[in-house]
Amino acid sequence: MIAGDPLWYKDAVIYQIHVKTFFDSDGDGVGDFKGLTSKLDYLELLGVNTLWLLPTFPSPFRDDGYDIADYYSIHPMYGTMDDFTSFLAAAHERGLRVVTELVLNHTSDRHPWFQEARSSRDNPRRDWYVWSDSDDKYRGVRIIFLDTEVSNWAWDPVSKQYYWHRFFSHQPDLNYDNPAVRQEMWRVMEFWAGLGVDGFRVDAVPYLVEREGTTCEGMPETHEVIRYLRAQLDAHFPGLMLLAEANQVPELVRPYFGDGDEFHMAFHFPLMTRMFMAIRLEDRGPLADIIRRTPELPASCQWAVFLRNHDELTLEMVTPEEREFMYDEYARDPAARLNLGIRRRLAPLLDGDRRRVELMNGLLMSLPGSPIVYYGDEIGMGDNVYLGDRNGVRTPMQWSGGWNGGFSSADPERLAFAMISNPVYGYQAVNVLAQERTHHSLLNWTRRLIRVRRSTRVFSRGTISLLDPPNQRVLAYVRAYEKEQVLVVNNLAGTVQAVELDLSSLAGAIPVEMFGQSLFPRIGTQPYLLTLGPHAFYWFRLRRL
Amino acid sequence: MADESLLSDDLLRQLVAVGHVDILVGIPTLNNATTVVDVVRAAQAGIGGYFPRARSVIFNADSGSDDGTPDLVRDATTDDTGTVTASRPLRTTQRITTPYHGLPGKGSAVRMIFAVADLLSADAIVVLDPDVISLTPEWIPALVRPVRDTTADIVAPLYPRAPADGPLVTQLVRPLVRAAYGWRLQEPLMGEFGCSRRFAGHCLERPAWGSGAIPDGVDLWMTGEALANGFRPAQTALGPRLLARARTRPGLPDVFQQVMDAVYACLEMHDSYWLTRGPAQPVPCTGTLPGAVEVGPRPDVTGMAQAFARDVVALHPVLQKILSDATLAGVTAAATAPGPLVYPDELWAATVFEFLLAYHRAVMTREHVAQTLLPLYLGRTASFLQQYGSSGPAVVQDALESLGQAFELAKPQAAAQWKKA
Repeated sequence: MIAGDPLWYKDAVIYQIHVKTFFDSDGDGVGDFKGLTSKLDYLELLGVNTLWLLPTFPSPFRDDGYDIADYYSIHPMYGTMDDFTSFLAAAHERGLRVVTELVLNHTSDRHPWFQEARSSRDNPRRDWYVWSDSDDKYRGVRIIFLDTEVSNWAWDPVSKQYYWHRFFSHQPDLNYDNPAVRQEMWRVMEFWAGLGVDGFRVDAVPYLVEREGTTCEGMPETHEVIRYLRAQLDAHFPGLMLLAEANQVPELVRPYFGDGDEFHMAFHFPLMTRMFMAIRLEDRGPLADIIRRTPELPASCQWAVFLRNHDELTLEMVTPEEREFMYDEYARDPAARLNLGIRRRLAPLLDGDRRRVELMNGLLMSLPGSPIVYYGDEIGMGDNVYLGDRNGVRTPMQWSGGWNGGFSSADPERLAFAMISNPVYGYQAVNVLAQERTHHSLLNWTRRLIRVRRSTRVFSRGTISLLDPPNQRVLAYVRAYEKEQVLVVNNLAGTVQAVELDLSSLAGAIPVEMFGQSLFPRIGTQPYLLTLGPHAFYWFRLRRL
Repeated sequence: MADESLLSDDLLRQLVAVGHVDILVGIPTLNNATTVVDVVRAAQAGIGGYFPRARSVIFNADSGSDDGTPDLVRDATTDDTGTVTASRPLRTTQRITTPYHGLPGKGSAVRMIFAVADLLSADAIVVLDPDVISLTPEWIPALVRPVRDTTADIVAPLYPRAPADGPLVTQLVRPLVRAAYGWRLQEPLMGEFGCSRRFAGHCLERPAWGSGAIPDGVDLWMTGEALANGFRPAQTALGPRLLARARTRPGLPDVFQQVMDAVYACLEMHDSYWLTRGPAQPVPCTGTLPGAVEVGPRPDVTGMAQAFARDVVALHPVLQKILSDATLAGVTAAATAPGPLVYPDELWAATVFEFLLAYHRAVMTREHVAQTLLPLYLGRTASFLQQYGSSGPAVVQDALESLGQAFELAKPQAAAQWKKA
């Protein structure tokens, strides 16, 4: 773990990586830790300071690694433990922190724990999972993977009982009412923390504990488990960060921060959805609404914000009308729809419109929270909705226009996932090498964006005050931290807009545009008139000279 | 193009902030504090519930209210305290309230609403009456959809009417517009209406705004403009139209005068159209009206009949200047005949047309012409209510259809005389 500021995660710009599809060093068609290590210079140059890795544990890969069969090692196809620790050291040398996955809620049904548990009803591990003689227990609890599962119970023909699973039926839920499970999971965390990881992204947090007559989500006992693990971490590895995946509205996520004694960070899912909604509606309403509804956090806590990730763009927390709108706008091809979401990457979602991609990234980097860039989105990679499940957004990184997009020297047929090869988003058209050579490429623009974002702590730690200009197509806010103030003005519309901002409380300040250092007229007591091009945004550092 | 002089700089600044909208709901007001909040809320709910994706604005043109109406419009809001996932419009429904200047009356307000709609490129425009207390959110889609989903340019309302409800419309304006303009429009005096941007733009360009007839007769004028200029009409079923009782309204003589002035002004403006227009065509309808309306007891029309009998005798010298001999004889016979008053359809149609010709020929001041027709209108209304006052909707509908046909039959002769005059 990198020593230093214990609140480092507040200033993090996180890059999410699928090791499997990032870079293949040995030509077997699968990315690996040696490959990832060789690309750390690229990541350092991109400007991110934290890497979040999707699971790399041994797994039967029926859920792309989230079905873990061994928590204490990495899958051989990704390399050896030495490869991992070498990667970790190399990342730390560059000031890059590393966050790994921690799947607490369930294991693979191939995990030895489950194999033992199902072997007989009196096996010592039997109580590590949740069993029932009937599938009536916890009736009414929602099914998450609606497209594949019909029940949260699955019949085990070996031990003749049902076992509980909130996700796929091959992912039995662990029983956190059993103290032995809690202790074992602490041992897992201790193991990886001991190797030097800087944090854990904790998967599927709300579902750890079940209780009859409830939604089985966010139970008080679940929070007890989290507080136990957090206390252990703080005692043994202070500064190590826990990031919660709780796919819920912010009011319901707030308890996972506790009094600063549960998670350090949690994803802000509705903010992401509403960014996409607002830019299509060309109306700040949905976004301003969710910002206002986002509760205050304990001083040591932080939201994690993102545009896209390895999962579908979730539409769980929207109204039916909003969902229908989002499907119409972003997933006209039914193949792009999965569960209650849309399995597409950023650039195709935005029709490859560079201005909208830039605006969305501008929002991501200027709204409260630590931003996460999903690998490949910095160059505008496309997706392949026909690969099944969510694999279409996990295709190999496109490094060049050459063989397999520079990802692997293997035969194309052997790749973990097929390369994107269509004329618009294919690796011949969209790749790192080409964009590095073009000053105004999306990659170089993203590098500049991250650099400006990290030039001040006002974005990572500052407060936000929404302005309320009459023009609803414009979202404007002031971020403030200590003596710094930044005015952010975003045109959500695809047309030129004029906006008058009431900045009288900032009278006397001189706006300096942060990308070009251009001076703007001093703010007075009268409405401040700005015009913005389609999907344009301004970040103004407010100087008082 | 909108007449920019209509729009103050302050209003223009507000419009800049709103930008293009799909739907504009216009509400002209003058001291409507007791009712306007519910109208605005219904409009908001109608937009949010039926057009959640639409860009929309509620635009209030106020004629100088001193009861706080503009503030109430500005502050009226539907409950927005729901959870993140509560149902609500996807886009912000914006609200603007602004005073208007110039001639007082609905005409000036509608002109401003059209000018704003033109500047905002509104695809569909709805104008609501702030005095209506029976307005529901469903009125918004009813008035908007024919414009957005079909090719309609003007959407007139359909209200369920009891036999005694709105005789000025059923006995006079409706059959006259049907015969003259050749369209079977049920409610030519559109209390609420929807229209297209194309039609609003057309209206804005007309020189008629300067005429004295428009401020109070804008509803009928728009109907005439639409029908005479090839804009596609439609009708849409709304619910019952109930007005707030609290406000002081003009008496029947004033209303009658306004309507007659408007009718005549329209016929004069559009004579090149209506004089050559053939038999009436049906107007497409959307929605259905309730099959039954509350009829109530048969109205007592004794006073109206007595006034008719008395005034026909008293006004005989004046009537001689207006009516043909045959029509005057028929009216006199109706007024003096023993037994229940009977004012036949054909006689009433001839009466109305001959009075309009008197307007046209200026045989006396228009005020006097209208005042003279008023007792005959009371007689005709008394006759109709006496016969159908407690009848069911189908019977009343048949009777009104007969009346419409009588007006159509009387039109050719009236048109010929109009041309000669």
